[in-house]
Amino acid sequence: MWIYEKKLEFPVKIGKTDPATAQLIMSQLGGPDGELAASTRYLSQRYSMPWNEIKGTLTDVGTEELAHAEMIASIVHQLTKNMTPEQAKKSGFDKYFVDHTVGIYPVSAGGIPLDAKYIGVKGDVIADLNEDLAAEQKARVSYDNLLRLIDDPDIREPLKFLRAREIVHYQRFGEALRVAQENMDCRNFYAVNPSFDK
Amino acid sequence: MSEREKLLKKVQVLDFAMTETALYLDTHPSCTAALEYYRTLLAEKKKAQESYECQFGPLVQTSAAEGDKWTWIQCPWPWETEE
Repeated sequence: MWIYEKKLEFPVKIGKTDPATAQLIMSQLGGPDGELAASTRYLSQRYSMPWNEIKGTLTDVGTEELAHAEMIASIVHQLTKNMTPEQAKKSGFDKYFVDHTVGIYPVSAGGIPLDAKYIGVKGDVIADLNEDLAAEQKARVSYDNLLRLIDDPDIREPLKFLRAREIVHYQRFGEALRVAQENMDCRNFYAVNPSFDK
Repeated sequence: MSEREKLLKKVQVLDFAMTETALYLDTHPSCTAALEYYRTLLAEKKKAQESYECQFGPLVQTSAAEGDKWTWIQCPWPWETEE
């Protein structure tokens, strides 16, 4: 189970209205390398993991990603809550507005809704942890790209925090992979799937 | 930054350090220095959370039933900013 804490992991306080920027950042909620896909990926992979260090890492990183989804949603909310129909039209946010008004709905920057295809679960510790290492790097690149496009310091600060978290998670998943390999046959890591073969 | 935001930031800083240390401990469960650091942070965080909650309301639901009113639902919620 989970317990809610009534605060963000890192402060988000944005005064201006900027739907064009909101549309870009929304990708980190509903896009292929976004926080919702990440959270569901890690929390789903836990069940077939054979070692405690890895169960713990996936539980805690998956939980932290939920807090990141909340930060992204808060950024998008604050950038659009006072939007006028004219601003929606001028910024290109009007297409999203037709279906979702100023609600938070997970889509990519290109408008493609969140898809379960983004959630890699193979049921094999080596395959899944390598998926996670790649996922953290892909999310880091998305934050790099957002930071190339966005100048406002109030928006950049939380994005920089989230970018740094991707790097730390990559490090932790690397250690989880090391733990897995130490527990496996060092002459051939692929001899068995320890998540299945008994 | 308002007084509320200042006190909240203190909790956020300590909670973040705890999140970071916990993740490290997941793959280094026998690191006594990290365990000691986690315990120090936890004690500080409890104090910071208490001083926030007695002025500005609950951060967790278990702190919301102390008076004669359920304070959990009071504003602001985390995604809201003070005008």
